[in-house]
Amino acid sequence: MPPTLISPSENDYIIRGVDSNIRADGRGRLDYRQVILETGLITQASGSARCRLGEGTDVLVGVKVEFGAVELDGADEDVAEIKAKRGRVICNVECSPIASQQFAGRGADDFNNELTQMLDRVLNGPQSGLNLEKLCIIPGQHCWIVYIDAIVLDYAGNILDTIFMTTRAALYSTRIPKTIIQERGDGEIEFDILDDVEECERIEGWDKVPVAITLNKIGSRHIVDATPLEELTTEAKLLVTVNKDGKVCGLQKSGGGSIEPSLLIDMVQTGRSLGQSLIQSLDEMLQREENDINLKRAQKERKLGFFAAT
Amino acid sequence: MSGDRRRIQGPEVTVAPIIIKSTDREKIQLKDINGQRRDGRNLEDIRPIFLKTGLISQANGSAYIELRRTKIACGVYGPRQTKIPSFSGRGNLNCEIKFTPFSCLKRRQPYRDAQEKELSQLVYEALAPSIRLDLLPKSTIDIYISVLENDGMASCFAAAITCASVAVADAGIEMLDQVAACSASYIDGDIYMDSDLVEEQRESGSLILSYMPSLNEVTHILQSGKVEVSLTTQAIEQCTDACSKIYSVMNHSLLESVKNKIQ
Repeated sequence: MPPTLISPSENDYIIRGVDSNIRADGRGRLDYRQVILETGLITQASGSARCRLGEGTDVLVGVKVEFGAVELDGADEDVAEIKAKRGRVICNVECSPIASQQFAGRGADDFNNELTQMLDRVLNGPQSGLNLEKLCIIPGQHCWIVYIDAIVLDYAGNILDTIFMTTRAALYSTRIPKTIIQERGDGEIEFDILDDVEECERIEGWDKVPVAITLNKIGSRHIVDATPLEELTTEAKLLVTVNKDGKVCGLQKSGGGSIEPSLLIDMVQTGRSLGQSLIQSLDEMLQREENDINLKRAQKERKLGFFAAT
Repeated sequence: MSGDRRRIQGPEVTVAPIIIKSTDREKIQLKDINGQRRDGRNLEDIRPIFLKTGLISQANGSAYIELRRTKIACGVYGPRQTKIPSFSGRGNLNCEIKFTPFSCLKRRQPYRDAQEKELSQLVYEALAPSIRLDLLPKSTIDIYISVLENDGMASCFAAAITCASVAVADAGIEMLDQVAACSASYIDGDIYMDSDLVEEQRESGSLILSYMPSLNEVTHILQSGKVEVSLTTQAIEQCTDACSKIYSVMNHSLLESVKNKIQ
């Protein structure tokens, strides 16, 4: 269960450590814990991924692509026209009671809502990088709706970064069924969704999905990837979401402290450069995993009979 | 006509209705050749603010803010005793923001939805660093913000923070500094300060900044949309400048209310 109280001496110990660039577990201020990422775990989902950060934080994301109606808004005519030709993304984050006793029952409601809104703010819109136009089946009528559901299985600090990393990997593994559109002639359009597992397309723009870097202000310095105790010492947190091209896709401050403007800009720059290198290493990990799978498929497996292996 | 009502006595040939699309309607220009916006402002100008305190007699402190078509009222109750018997060395700050059903373009549900819950959390994060909660153990301060008319979500949220800060000061609660907040939109590579609803719909990103001018500290920042870092930096600077201007308006209104109380 993550600690909710911290003693003043522990607090002081962490602040001094951060100041000297040595944290409690030996890392530097800008070092991440080890990331273990795997995709394609859930057969019923269109895409899925699980990420484990160090020995703690564990997040599972399932992506389900479902057929639905286009968003018809009562807004400005031009905006409504754009929205009619797009697919949609609907996010949801849930902290499972497995992760901590304080998440049992309605305890996690506010926290879930906060995380969902943060995820939604980045993924709903052009800044998500996903090609939403490609998700439209019939303009003005039907489209693909991408449901992204994240479950937090274990909590050991730095939850948002993990959620974003896992979401990105899940979108990488997401396959959208192909649709064949036929025009019936009298203005009616018919479409068919192919059931074949092999006839699937990868979701376009997954590589442009941003990752999040949470910078924690401790004392006069900032650190990334905080452990629960370090999070309790944090005065203010800044969430920087950045994509592969180095564009900042979102900024959000949280916590009860304040940040000086020049330090704020400094943190944004740090977050941006860290984000880009994180994306690079994540992509390498995903590529390696795919290569391993392809290698296994290529090798002819020695087939044993049903009860041959005893 | 009597007889079988299940038989529709309609014409044999039906034709779909003709809907005339206004194709010759010009796309609304957000700024003209001189860089002037639709209401005559420059890109870096904020809307004129009307700020008054003391409108809610039952509350310990209250404020009302108006930015052209954005109208927000805020009431502060506290410090009062925390009902839950658990001890806490610091005071509790409880913020609730509510959009009235008629405030936005589309009618909002009367019950609190997810967006309002999140905005309430953000208001807390923006105001908490400025209030001396450590001087109020076992107490709670309740801030209730009611949005009466909403002309742009980002600027509405910023105005709500400004209004709440003034209301807390009006309640006589000790603070480190006032929190002024303002918003900016990124449209086609330009930064439009304090954008209204029409401008907001064309934006590719928005920034809301809450700032304590005397202490030179940012209490809250929220940016959405894909933006270059250089543009973000520029927007942060413009917002801090605008916040300093808002600060003087806040101080003026508080001074006026003190003068009225003395008389």
